[in-house]
Amino acid sequence: MIISVNWLKKFTDIDGSVEELATLIGARLVEIEQVINLGEKYQGVVVAHVVECAPLEGSDHLNVTKIDDGGVVPDVERDENGYVQVVCGAPNVRAGLTVAWLPPRSTVPETFATSEPFVLSAKPLRGVVSNGMLASARELDLYDDHSGILVIDKEAAPGSSFAELYELDDYLLDIENKSLTHRPDTFGVIGFAREVAGIQGKPFQTPAWLEVLEPVINHTESYEAPTITIEDSSLSDRFEAIVLEGVSETAVSPVQLQTYLARSGVRPINAAVDVSNYLMLLTGQPSHTYDYDKLKKVAGGDFTVRVRAARADEKLVLLDGKEVTLDTTDIVIAAGDTAVGLAGIMGGESTKVDETTRAVLLEVATFDLYHMRSSQMRHGIFSEAVTRFTKGIPAPLSGPVLFEAVRMLQEHTGATVASAVVEDYPGYKDPITVHVSEQNVNDTLGTHFAAEDIAELLQNVGFEVSFDGLEATITVPYWRQDIHIPEDIIEEVGRLAGFDTIAVTLPSRDFEAVQPSAFDQLRALLRKTLVRAGANEILSYSFVHGDLLKKSGQQPDDAYRIINSISPDLQYYRQSLTPSLLANVFPNSKAGYESFALFELNKVHDKNRGLTDESVPVEHDSLSFVTAKVKDKSAAYYDAKNVLEYLAQHIGMTLNFTPLVGEDRPLYAPFEPKRAALVIDQKTGRTIGVVGEYKASVQKAFKLPAHTAGFELDTRALLDLYDPIGSYQPLSRYPGTERDVCFQVNASVTYADVEDATKSALIETGLITEVKPLDLYQPESGDTKNITVRISLVSYDKTLTGEEVTQVMSTVIDKVTEVTGGKVI
Amino acid sequence: MSTYDIEGVKQALLEQVAVSQTPREVLKAPQIRELYAVIATLPVEERGSFGREVNEVKQAVEAAVQAREIELESADVTPIDITAPWEINGSAPSLLPTEMGTQHPLTKEIERVVDIFTRMGFEAIESRQIDDDHHMFGALNFPPDHPARDGYDTFRTEEGYIPPAHTSTMQHRILKAGKAKLEAGGHIAAVSYGRVFRNEDVDATHEHTFYQCEGVFVSDDATLGQMLGTLRSFFETYYGQALRIKTQPGYFPFVEPGLEFAIEKPASIGGKPGEWLEMLGCGMIHPNVLKEAGIDPAKYRGFAWGGGIERLVMLKYGIEDLRHFESGKLAFLRKFVG
Repeated sequence: MIISVNWLKKFTDIDGSVEELATLIGARLVEIEQVINLGEKYQGVVVAHVVECAPLEGSDHLNVTKIDDGGVVPDVERDENGYVQVVCGAPNVRAGLTVAWLPPRSTVPETFATSEPFVLSAKPLRGVVSNGMLASARELDLYDDHSGILVIDKEAAPGSSFAELYELDDYLLDIENKSLTHRPDTFGVIGFAREVAGIQGKPFQTPAWLEVLEPVINHTESYEAPTITIEDSSLSDRFEAIVLEGVSETAVSPVQLQTYLARSGVRPINAAVDVSNYLMLLTGQPSHTYDYDKLKKVAGGDFTVRVRAARADEKLVLLDGKEVTLDTTDIVIAAGDTAVGLAGIMGGESTKVDETTRAVLLEVATFDLYHMRSSQMRHGIFSEAVTRFTKGIPAPLSGPVLFEAVRMLQEHTGATVASAVVEDYPGYKDPITVHVSEQNVNDTLGTHFAAEDIAELLQNVGFEVSFDGLEATITVPYWRQDIHIPEDIIEEVGRLAGFDTIAVTLPSRDFEAVQPSAFDQLRALLRKTLVRAGANEILSYSFVHGDLLKKSGQQPDDAYRIINSISPDLQYYRQSLTPSLLANVFPNSKAGYESFALFELNKVHDKNRGLTDESVPVEHDSLSFVTAKVKDKSAAYYDAKNVLEYLAQHIGMTLNFTPLVGEDRPLYAPFEPKRAALVIDQKTGRTIGVVGEYKASVQKAFKLPAHTAGFELDTRALLDLYDPIGSYQPLSRYPGTERDVCFQVNASVTYADVEDATKSALIETGLITEVKPLDLYQPESGDTKNITVRISLVSYDKTLTGEEVTQVMSTVIDKVTEVTGGKVI
Repeated sequence: MSTYDIEGVKQALLEQVAVSQTPREVLKAPQIRELYAVIATLPVEERGSFGREVNEVKQAVEAAVQAREIELESADVTPIDITAPWEINGSAPSLLPTEMGTQHPLTKEIERVVDIFTRMGFEAIESRQIDDDHHMFGALNFPPDHPARDGYDTFRTEEGYIPPAHTSTMQHRILKAGKAKLEAGGHIAAVSYGRVFRNEDVDATHEHTFYQCEGVFVSDDATLGQMLGTLRSFFETYYGQALRIKTQPGYFPFVEPGLEFAIEKPASIGGKPGEWLEMLGCGMIHPNVLKEAGIDPAKYRGFAWGGGIERLVMLKYGIEDLRHFESGKLAFLRKFVG
């Protein structure tokens, strides 16, 4: 929305500069996106009288004119009378006109501040010097009319400023419509001016015509007026109409009115349409005209104008010639029973006003904003009028707007009133009253307003305020349908006075520091640990393309599906994080990173997890990690497992690894069962996730390097199992000893079989012991393998003797060989 | 009824799949074509049910083919000892160098924001990533079909769940959870942070996925002046310097009055006097929102605010493109060492 500052000034005084005004409006009403200096492009434009005009010899359309600029423009060639010669090609140029002259060295306003500004000069046209040019409305950047030069329609002295004449020495405030969605009253210049007065602390003076809500319009009854019927009061609060005769289609409105439309972004058409648009810009209330004869003909025997819900699949041809198919949530205006317009949005072709029109029916009405919104969206029609209807227009406004429209149409189009006003007004509402106390206001804002201050701020913008002691009864003006409760009034007071004038304090309470939640603390630790392990944390989208799920072996049917995404990449909630991480491996390896690890901590969702007791889907917290090395040919599984065990160590956990067989969950789907394991907490036996390499199909689909593996864990389970203390054992005063032992076992025996057996033998010794792997060896095509471990032994009581150590080792060896069927070599 | 032995055909095909080296070929078996051919020969009233049975057979065989393909793919894979510390005949794996590791700048910033608010006495909870209309809108004084809902460009799932478009989706929960404490003479002080979603096209300054932090404070004497003080205090701690603040009216259905809050751009991030940064939206909690959570708005008042995390991070590091955050690019991520 564009608001002209000069237009505002017609309704309220404005103190200070436009910058100060913009700052004040920003702080107390709405953010101004941009302040546009309209006046600067008209600086050089001068009002001139055409004194002489004669065809240019040898040209079929050019004229040579002599113009009188009152001698104000310096350094320009003049004749003996002081007139200036200008060549003009416009068909409407003639002596006696008052015109806008662009003298040499001035810039054509249409090109002002563009990449190619056109600066005029004195140059010959067909051998005759033209000093600058006489300008059309388009060249003046007023509106798109280039059919001839602009003819000035006001008394103006030669040499006076064109900008001043038409009040174009103006600033325009550019405001985003959505910033004022809640304030329909500000979608008219008068409503906006009321606010500007209020935030400056000035009382607002409403124009007299707008104060009379039920004006009397003098009329003859030369035409029969239709009956107005609003079939369902939830569709429209009020529909008023009147018949006007002799509305000229060819009458043009005054240039000044046209320039106000144009600077507000509305194209002037003819006087009849301009009046409707002008009043809409002024008050926020649109209006519409129907051809009276056509309307009556369509109505047939039943001359009633009805506001009704459209019928399913009802068809209507609109003014623009397009046929639309309606829906029961559309509102139509019907003549008799036949739809002749899509209410508030666009009129119909069948009742279009044209040059044969004898009389019109002028409609001023309001329609339900929710219906307007859905119709606007469904039909994709976005006009200045429907924008206003979708914000909600108060019913009382139509009275004065109809009155003023009639007056202006009489003035500018020669119309005469041919019927009484007819209306249906089922939505009349008594004014809202709100009770609020001085204390309410001050307690909520933290201010010290006196009752009189509160009353004055509100009265300035049209509220009626009466205080009984410190309790106020406030009558809300009809245009503020957004005000219902004391808090709404408190906001008005704070806003009009300026929130920035409120003293800033801190809550009056004892500050008690709290800690981040245990889960947040754990996640911070997990991040820190993985970063220390050289990994890079990523964040990836919560929604993925269905193909990503399929590439990972997951079923889209298990995923919550997004139905209205504007991007095809955002189809499904992800069921685990691993696919997103895998999708990030190839782009990075392709970018030249040969060795890296990525991880993400985030939430995942799948339908199989069910709903919470609030009936919303269960969320699952996950930690996923992937490591990739471009040139490495070794088994990546052990890289991932190594990082996982490093991580486990930092959170006081010991892990076991068991085969991933017969497990069917989305989490496991990408992993290759022969080279992946379930991750089990040793203490509790709880499964906390999966670690491993990926299926060949997954590797291929994601273009993964051969050496790629990762893990994904249940982060909430880690929180349950997290042991921040760990398993500290006091140090012994005595030296320890170490023994290495190599077991030859069948190839099917696992490392864990050996280590577990070793540990179970050691636990009975009462010593502090430790078992570490030293070497794993299997000859090519051999069916046995050698597992070498180092055993550390320390006693709390003494230095162990050689015999005692041998005794322990022999127990260990007996146990391991018994369990694994292997031997020591 | 047809006497055609559908079950027999199905079993035969499944057996073929189970032993086939090229299981997809089974889908082209003549028996399946024959089954479809039979449909046309049946009386009209039997065709429907027979057709469904044939489709079920086809689907069962397709599922078996997929499973068999995965089995075959796995057949070539060498199993490993998943309990071993490293590969047989290999050596102990090592971690990547610590200096390659980095934390994501957004999670780092969230940790810092949460740290400041917890020190100010605000508990921190993470926001949900899938929620319902009630928490996202209804409980926050957005009536159904209210125009203000349009501004949020929400995604929706088939079931009508909403990926929250603001962390305020947690506000109703925070209020309900804190009600008892409030009524026992205490106050509610909490922030919720996390991921939010808006259905819009992505470019350098727009993302459909981003992070917010929301704050809620309720007591028996909360004021708008206290809200401004709390927010200024946060930003002064965050930027480590005294700051000027300003506001402008803002419309959010769940607050009344509603404001947009700006700070003067701090010198530490290259600010000059008179340069303002809009940081967040805020206001006094609307009485309907308190009521909805069972809190008596005649006795208690509160304020709430919410702002984006990306903006803080972008200002801090001079990041030029919002898309970097979710790009997973190491070239970006590895800039955030330390």
